[in-house]
Amino acid sequence: MPRFLNVVLSHQPPADVHRVAEYWNSLIEDADLLIAYGGRRDSFDRICFDPRVFIDDPNLRTLDHQREAQSYTEVFKQVSRWLSGNSSDVDFVTLFEFDHLPLVCDLNARQLSRMQAERADVLAYHLARVDDTSHPHYLHYAANGEFARFFQSLSVRDDPMVALSIFGTGSCWTREAFDAVAGFDEPFPVYFEIYLPTLAHHLGFRLRDYADQDRFVSNLGDRSREVDSARNNGAWTLHPVKILPARISSMASK
Amino acid sequence: MRPLFRAIGLFIVRVFGTRLVDFQTGRDLGKALIIGWRGKIHVIGLKQAVRAVFLPQQRLTYWKQEIGFTTQPPPDFLNERGNKVS
Repeated sequence: MPRFLNVVLSHQPPADVHRVAEYWNSLIEDADLLIAYGGRRDSFDRICFDPRVFIDDPNLRTLDHQREAQSYTEVFKQVSRWLSGNSSDVDFVTLFEFDHLPLVCDLNARQLSRMQAERADVLAYHLARVDDTSHPHYLHYAANGEFARFFQSLSVRDDPMVALSIFGTGSCWTREAFDAVAGFDEPFPVYFEIYLPTLAHHLGFRLRDYADQDRFVSNLGDRSREVDSARNNGAWTLHPVKILPARISSMASK
Repeated sequence: MRPLFRAIGLFIVRVFGTRLVDFQTGRDLGKALIIGWRGKIHVIGLKQAVRAVFLPQQRLTYWKQEIGFTTQPPPDFLNERGNKVS
């Protein structure tokens, strides 16, 4: 089995970070977990979990994420640097937000199986092609000529105008794709849900979706009450879950 | 206040909006208010990301053309890392 690094992105208080880390470690055997912390520095210092990295980037700490063009670029760069210094044998990197709950103990094996079946370099939820459509994020950046020029300048594709969109959490990357994307800086603030997949695509990587798993990942609300039903309906993960299941050990045993 | 206006607007779209259908697949794309204003067509309240295209027509007419809606196909691009040096 290739080695995965599961990156969990959080800005929550230290006690909540501990609970999330405990949940991951109790559910997934030998989960290689890295906490990427985007909260306050003093909170980061009080986290009693390692490994962890501090993401010191105001572009990550947005409130209106789309209009303020929230960026995960510094997350990619920090994790990539951490990997090169600490864990050079990692083959795949997954990126989960703190409220995206894994529900199966063999999550990484399932992701690997899907990647191999699809010959994918990146798996992501709600992957869509959005160029030339009414997609609001695309239309916003279509108004800025720099957006197209940036991707034209680096694209290995026949059509440099293709733009892709993904859901921000739950993506799975080959190490090569992850490091390649981490090697770039945004030309100007671009919302990461359109920037990351479009960059990976134009660098030549193959992106695929999670197929019917998409229905268990949505952007609004709180699906904490759906944990059991989602598991029973075959979910690998569930998002957003604001309240962790009370009985972590019983979840892990399933 | 903003969420209230949004809720009212979406209610109006649900009541008075036109149901759009993907002209290629027949799939329901949802409801939208379509209003012509100041030389542009404004599409209000549509949740699905769509492409607008003039539709081919069997009968040659000089007085009427139709704009239809469709979606991009799901992305299925091959790995092309070997193509060029970026």
